[in-house]
Amino acid sequence: MISEEIFSAIPMRTWRWLNVNEVKVPENLSAEVRTEKILVESGENKRIVLDRREGGALEVQAHIADGGELTLIYAQLVDEKEAATSRIKVYVGKGAKFSYTTVEAGAKATAAELTVDMAGPDSVADVWGLYFGDGERKIDLNYIIRQGGKRTDANMQVRGALLGGAAKTFRGTLDFLEGSKGSVGREDEEVMVLSDHVQNRSVPIMLSHEDDVDGHHAVSIGKMDEDKLFYLMSRGLDLAEAQKLVVEANFQPVLDRIDDDGLKAEIDAYLQRRLSHG
Amino acid sequence: MAEQLLAIKDLHAGVEDKEILKGLSLSVGKGEVHVILGPNGSGKSTLMNIIMGHPKYTVTSGSMEFEGEDMKEMKTFERSRKGLFLSFQTPEEIPGITVENMLRTAKQVITGEKVKLLPFRKELKATMQELKMNPEYAQRYLNVGFSGGEKKRTEILQLLMLNPKLALLDETDSGLDVDAVQIVSEGVAKFHNKDNSCLIITHNTRILEHLKVDKVHVLMNGQIVEEGGPELIEDINRRGFTHILAEQEG
Amino acid sequence: MAEKKKTYVEDIERTLYDIKNEDHSVYKSHSGLTPEIVRDISRRKNDPEWMTEFRLKSLEVYNSLALPTWGPSLEDLNMDDIVTYVQPDAKMTGKWEEVPEEIKDTFDRLGIPEAEKTSLGGVGAQYDSEVVYHSIQEDMVKQGVIYTDMETALREHGDMVKEYFMTLVPPKDHKFAALHGAVWSGGSFVYVPEGVHVEMPLQSYFRLNAAGAGQFEHTLIIVEKNASLHFIEGCSAPKYNVTNLHAGCVELFVKEGARLRYSTIENWSRNMMNLNTKRALVEKDGLIEWVSGSFGSHISCLYPCSVLHGENARCEFTGVTFASKGQNLDTGASVIHAAPHTSANINTRTISKAGGKATYRSAVKVTKNAPYAKCSVNCESLMLDNLSRSDTLPVMDIEGDEADIGHEAKIGRISDEAIFYLTSRGIDEEEARAMIVRGFVEPIAKELPLEYALEMNNLVNIELEGTMG
Repeated sequence: MISEEIFSAIPMRTWRWLNVNEVKVPENLSAEVRTEKILVESGENKRIVLDRREGGALEVQAHIADGGELTLIYAQLVDEKEAATSRIKVYVGKGAKFSYTTVEAGAKATAAELTVDMAGPDSVADVWGLYFGDGERKIDLNYIIRQGGKRTDANMQVRGALLGGAAKTFRGTLDFLEGSKGSVGREDEEVMVLSDHVQNRSVPIMLSHEDDVDGHHAVSIGKMDEDKLFYLMSRGLDLAEAQKLVVEANFQPVLDRIDDDGLKAEIDAYLQRRLSHG
Repeated sequence: MAEQLLAIKDLHAGVEDKEILKGLSLSVGKGEVHVILGPNGSGKSTLMNIIMGHPKYTVTSGSMEFEGEDMKEMKTFERSRKGLFLSFQTPEEIPGITVENMLRTAKQVITGEKVKLLPFRKELKATMQELKMNPEYAQRYLNVGFSGGEKKRTEILQLLMLNPKLALLDETDSGLDVDAVQIVSEGVAKFHNKDNSCLIITHNTRILEHLKVDKVHVLMNGQIVEEGGPELIEDINRRGFTHILAEQEG
Repeated sequence: MAEKKKTYVEDIERTLYDIKNEDHSVYKSHSGLTPEIVRDISRRKNDPEWMTEFRLKSLEVYNSLALPTWGPSLEDLNMDDIVTYVQPDAKMTGKWEEVPEEIKDTFDRLGIPEAEKTSLGGVGAQYDSEVVYHSIQEDMVKQGVIYTDMETALREHGDMVKEYFMTLVPPKDHKFAALHGAVWSGGSFVYVPEGVHVEMPLQSYFRLNAAGAGQFEHTLIIVEKNASLHFIEGCSAPKYNVTNLHAGCVELFVKEGARLRYSTIENWSRNMMNLNTKRALVEKDGLIEWVSGSFGSHISCLYPCSVLHGENARCEFTGVTFASKGQNLDTGASVIHAAPHTSANINTRTISKAGGKATYRSAVKVTKNAPYAKCSVNCESLMLDNLSRSDTLPVMDIEGDEADIGHEAKIGRISDEAIFYLTSRGIDEEEARAMIVRGFVEPIAKELPLEYALEMNNLVNIELEGTMG
């Protein structure tokens, strides 16, 4: 009556979470781990750009002392034959601010983990991510923001586009710990799916052990807004051009945060090229 | 001079460490219509919220009386039951509570009497008709998904149904089209009589069309800087606020 | 900083449910689980041979499967202590007068016979492992509607039961489905023939009286082409100090163009482990509507699943969960889009207080065969204090580019602005909070049958506690 195939699609069987529990480390990853340590002193304002072109494993540990501010830009444009993983851990002190912009566009397989520990009261985390998958790329992202201090303010904005036979998992977690009174958290993921061979998994998690918080998350997965496409096509663009423009527009809020003009132009050109092939 | 309804003297109030009202004095008599003018950020909405007892604000000194009774210690719901009503600038959306349910509950607690469903519904429907509101809105959740104009009309509906002694209207006309302002203005005029008073914040004189304004106060930087009759509105419309400030400083 | 008032929401009034009757069962299986016990249950129930085999096979599967590694801890559950079969001292009857006094009293207190007279098309009542009462209106019988207990169905409509039984929730699905397959007893069977609209709801009520026992009722509903039905399920049990287990199974078959509304109010006592499996298979143009209220039990794992199998099949899920002290309620929904143009709407509310833990867990799967699938999920959580926990764990797994999936979740407490608004209308703070909490669950309450909606409002009875920092 019902095909086995449907049963295998039922996640309830053992609730294996459709294999979304652990970040999968890509195969053939070299064992060597490159480690970076960033220390932002109290009251200091630091800006760091990690322009990544090499595969392998990268680990970054950042400590932002009370009142410090770290602007971190991570652009992963690794060669598409290689695998790349990253694990970024950030401690945010009292009144400190962590501003993060990430672009995950390269490598044939990516696994990225970001853990932001907002231990200090009045700390701020502003995380903006962009991912782009085409061909047979595999993207596995796990972003966690732990809100521990009072009146912390977290924002996680992720934009993505998937083409070809790309497979992607994004887990975004906002965790309001006990005592995080007066904290607010927002999480949004917008995915544009441009091919019917794409596999997209979204797991927006919100955990709360504190009543005096305001948490909100939203995910939208789907095709492009047809009105937008229609508008652009009424101005003479063909479908592919219009789609390209809509994807670019969707990426823009993330790209705009990259204040390194050279890098930004390079990422722009890189995405343009890949989009045209899609 | 009419019998005093609201009397505020040398009021200092604010939020956390920030003082917003800096020695404000104002009084409204029974049956009077008062208008407060002032530039954005002068403390107009704060004043309305403080009169209504918003817990966010703290009164540090000065006095505030309603019908001769000190209201500083009164809770918001007690103020409401005494006859104060605030028409919010941005009315809250409260899911799950219908307009009818909220109004009937409020009317019951304010009058202290059981409100019978059928006569209440009749009155509600008639009032909605006067305000040219779709009667279906009675069964909708309070302000949820209402347009700006619908929200404001729902505020006036509540005003007419609850019939308080003093209506505080916080930019009830903002964001409304010409026809809607007309309806709201008529609603307020209907509410106003020899016993009922209004304290109105507005940027738009059209809402005052059906009302006889008794007094105009100009609020700037947390204080009343000028007072006068209805002619003051015309004056400010023509010359703006900076001119008053210049005069003050001069 | 200004002191913040805490809302104290009263615990659900349980005295009504907590009256326990003396255990007058005529037979109880030994606790624990062996092939002998399963054979013994099967013999006592006069199972046909295929069912005995089915049970034994399920037991094998049960022994081969591990406990789930996710969700609430089940370590308090010791199957060796659970009595899987408790036969009450009563024969199944169609006449209310014939139900034994004590059991009748229980159901009277719960208002079941009263509801039957006024608003139901049929009623079933299960006491421990066996159904003690079943009735259905004459005219429905004439239209070919079958509503009876599973045992009678197995005797009188054996072929049909065999065709459907545990095909949608196979025993290998998970450990407790296997357990269910081995020791199931009681439950309701409903068959609605093609084109028949059952105007008044049918209601089955499940009561677990014996301490340390398990209830494993099986509900099998088949709604044929273009037919419709509203089925209501109620559950309760008195509180004991030992763990009781509920591992029921609900299989719903919604055929082409058919509609089924399945409403549940679950108010098990706080010693209950509620590990229930519910699943619906919806064919072309069919509609399944779930209305689910979870208030009771110590631990619940409940995620009604809708398999949208035919083109244009639809699912509407509405759920509310209220977790208080000592409760860990892990609830949600899952939807499998397996055909083009299928659509689903999931709308849930959870409230947690006094150390209760409420988790919303869901899965939305869009297969490759389901272009133009549409799914929208909206879940809101209200926390009434910081002793409690509220987690939201949704998974979306989407293949293909023609799907339109939206998910939105909110977590927080009662807004100060909303309270100010209502108090500015003369309503005192206590009542304002109560109104807001009631309003929070109102979208769900309005989907419930009236008496349940009133019951739910009573459950949300609010009181204001002193101030806390």
